[in-house]
Amino acid sequence: MVNYGGDEVSALVLDIGTSTTRAGYAGDDTPKAIIPTCYGFKKDPSAEEDVSMSEAGQENDASPKKDKIITYVGNNGPTIWHDGMEIAHPVRDGLIEDFSPIPALIGHAFRDIMRCEPKEHPIFVTEPAWNTAANRERMAEIMFEEFEVPAFYIANTGVLNAFAAGKGSALVIDIGHDTASVTPVIDGFVLRKGLVHSALPQLVRAHAHHHLTSQNSARPGIQLLPHQLIASKMPVEPAVPPNFTLRSDRESGTTETFRKWYEDREVEEWIQGVAGVLDQGWNEQFAAQRGARHYEFPTGYNYYFGAERYLVGEQYFSHSPQLVASNPNLPKTIPNLITQSLSACDPDLRQVLMGNVVLTGGGSLFAGLSERLSNELARNFAHVKIHAPGNPTERRYGGWLGGSILASLGTFHQLWISREEWQEHGKKIVAQRCK
Amino acid sequence: MAASAADVRSILSLPNPSTPGPSQTKPKVPGTTERSRKPEGISRELYSLIGPSAPTLAAQLAKPRLKQKPNLGGGGRVKWEWQSFKNNGRTDSLHLSHWTKAGTDPEAEYTFAKYNVQPTSYVYSQDEYNRFLEDKEWTKEETDYLFELVREYDQRFYVVGDRYDFPGGPPRSLEDLKDRYYSVCRKLVRNRPWAGDESSKMQLISSFQFDKEREVTRKKYVASLEQRTPQQIAEEDALYIELKRLEQTERRFKKERDELLKTLLGVESGLPDISVEDEPPVNGNGLHIDTTTPVTGNTRKTKKRGVNDVDTPTSAGPSSANVISLGQPVQKKAQSAKSAQYDAQHCIHRTDANQTTSNKAAHTPVYFRSYKLPMLKNPTGPRIIQVLSELGISHSRLVMPTRENCARVDGLVEATMSLIDTKKCVDKVEQDIQVATMRLEMANNTGGEGGEGGAGTPSAMDVDEDAEGVEDDDGRAHSVISSRSTKSMRGRKQSQRRSMSISSVDTSATGSMPKRRKR
Repeated sequence: MVNYGGDEVSALVLDIGTSTTRAGYAGDDTPKAIIPTCYGFKKDPSAEEDVSMSEAGQENDASPKKDKIITYVGNNGPTIWHDGMEIAHPVRDGLIEDFSPIPALIGHAFRDIMRCEPKEHPIFVTEPAWNTAANRERMAEIMFEEFEVPAFYIANTGVLNAFAAGKGSALVIDIGHDTASVTPVIDGFVLRKGLVHSALPQLVRAHAHHHLTSQNSARPGIQLLPHQLIASKMPVEPAVPPNFTLRSDRESGTTETFRKWYEDREVEEWIQGVAGVLDQGWNEQFAAQRGARHYEFPTGYNYYFGAERYLVGEQYFSHSPQLVASNPNLPKTIPNLITQSLSACDPDLRQVLMGNVVLTGGGSLFAGLSERLSNELARNFAHVKIHAPGNPTERRYGGWLGGSILASLGTFHQLWISREEWQEHGKKIVAQRCK
Repeated sequence: MAASAADVRSILSLPNPSTPGPSQTKPKVPGTTERSRKPEGISRELYSLIGPSAPTLAAQLAKPRLKQKPNLGGGGRVKWEWQSFKNNGRTDSLHLSHWTKAGTDPEAEYTFAKYNVQPTSYVYSQDEYNRFLEDKEWTKEETDYLFELVREYDQRFYVVGDRYDFPGGPPRSLEDLKDRYYSVCRKLVRNRPWAGDESSKMQLISSFQFDKEREVTRKKYVASLEQRTPQQIAEEDALYIELKRLEQTERRFKKERDELLKTLLGVESGLPDISVEDEPPVNGNGLHIDTTTPVTGNTRKTKKRGVNDVDTPTSAGPSSANVISLGQPVQKKAQSAKSAQYDAQHCIHRTDANQTTSNKAAHTPVYFRSYKLPMLKNPTGPRIIQVLSELGISHSRLVMPTRENCARVDGLVEATMSLIDTKKCVDKVEQDIQVATMRLEMANNTGGEGGEGGAGTPSAMDVDEDAEGVEDDDGRAHSVISSRSTKSMRGRKQSQRRSMSISSVDTSATGSMPKRRKR
């Protein structure tokens, strides 16, 4: 036991990401609860009526608001259609922007899914490396005041991803749902000067969305209708206009945010299912040789996507000149981010960092991305070693996994901010302890 | 003390005999214990009938014994319990809980608390700061801030440099921070009373040594390495590979030459019997380059080289000539005083290996010192040998050819040579004198008419002298010592005695010379 340095105190690990919120026990290799971070909400038409029209665990009410608002969280939250339900993201740019649904999310993950009481467990929370002091203090406050946890700690995902890869020093390339970041980590500390991030995945998705919905020579524009609005559909041949009927009764109750959220999700799924990147830079012929891949949309429309599916991945590595010309503040591409990050680091460290590149995040599961990245890096640096876990779970939940490892170490337990310390020192203890 | 047979048996670990010997005292065993030792698997009645004398039968009847189960972890069931513990690394009273084996002392020290080691951090008082640590670049507040950061991040200067942000202070580079920190530490250690000995203090101070200029230069160099263009890197790679290739060719050349030398000279070449295979170069770079296959991505260059690089002696020749100057840098290694002393103690004399810098003599085989004695080949050589042998000294064989002796022989030979030269001059002068006196006598004898007649005789003498000169040129050595003594040379002592007459020898007495040469 002592050999591995592990000593489990049944801590809980919570990792709130842009796409999903992960929660589980420290020492496990996978989070127990994985729920979408976005949530649905609507004003309660009848404030007096008890909100028990759907199954338990699916809804929590955030009572402090003046209007009675029903929120729908969890795996069955935003995905189930409700009349007039709006979809909102509490997380923007990796940071929690809106804290109002966070307690509901956390409570749902711990109490309804894991069936445990946070009051009895120390809680380990993750944050992006560029988190603000106010944000982490707010998180500590939620934990201590609302969940009454005995102990709390907050660590940033860059360091945790490095730990999950078994490294103390690493250059962590984290491609998430909305943000791509490059974090230099030395001895378990983030070098803040070298920390860079950009909203590249959003651009890629927007580009893919545009590409799908616009017409081209081979096919018409594709309707990205949510399956919640489709009453029935008939199977059709590939590239033939779909044959489906809409649920007209839901038409009026569907909000714009719901549509937008669904379209985004559909594009994401299309990207993850079909799109890829060529490992040696863009080449029309190579892309055509790779063969087409079939994808069917909720409307029943299906199509074999050929070379165009490789165009999407190119966005991660280079922007087309006309795009650069039209938009001066494009999010930086991954090679740009790496270069920028390294140039801010000490020359001595660059070699160390390039020898320990950790590729992580759900967005990095993009087909061919790690090969392409290693090719790009090998062109510019002498000794590059990329650590990209083959296991998708490890890649997607790397931050959580690192937290799980760290929170189950015997030597870590002296770092917890205890309830007593919180009461004695207040908010400033968070910055003192969690460096 | 007499030992019984039982003692002997027990010493030799022999089994007891069925019939006890006379000297053996059989202990009286009580019947109860005898019965209790009844083997398992045999009924009491049967046992009472056959008694203890049927062990084989009992063994067969006993239950088969299985191999004992391995005892893992103390055996039995381990009870674990959920126990709260106090971590001594913490300053508060947080009690976390973990699973421990039942019975563990809940008050025992937490096992991981011992890893909480604090590095020593230096603190200074205001007084110390005023006296030693003043620096016009740094205020006390900023120095305090720096020390606080260094302590907080456990002297991880990269992190300190990253987080360093003193409000209102000038921008500081990592080297500035390190320089300030280490210089303050050095001054503190130097000026504070030191409990230990001086050497440990110096050691501590040297551990705080920091050369800022050097670090900055080094950093610049590292950064400049990154600024290289791909062409430069390719060029460097190509040069490196070229160097390796040359080294390899050189090794091959050397090996071939050694083999050739061995074939020609055999043991006398002084080369070890085991042929040295292509070893990797001493610098530990394990890069082995096959000269026939291009290695780099720089295909253009390697292809070009690949054409030239056929394993022919013609191609190996010129390149190896380059190589030797590359591979064997002239080592002007000054001998340290210590090694000189060592050499003197062990009678080792180092020859200057650099005197042979040509390609051919790169390897000097082991030789006897006596082989290096000067060979007497020039015209005076045989004469010297003759003189020496007349003196009873054998030039070719030294009984103890130590360095001093060899040097002496050298000296002797030189002395002999000059002696011979002197002798020649003396002879000539004497001859001249003789001739002159003879002429004088003739002139005196003939009186008045002597002018013309005297001219004839000297011419005859001249001829005679010429003949002697010819003989001399032929290489026929004249015996410096009189022929009589040469003939009658019997013993060393005798010759030594006669050698005293060297000055009075007659050069013209050459009668026995041919005979002597043949001997």
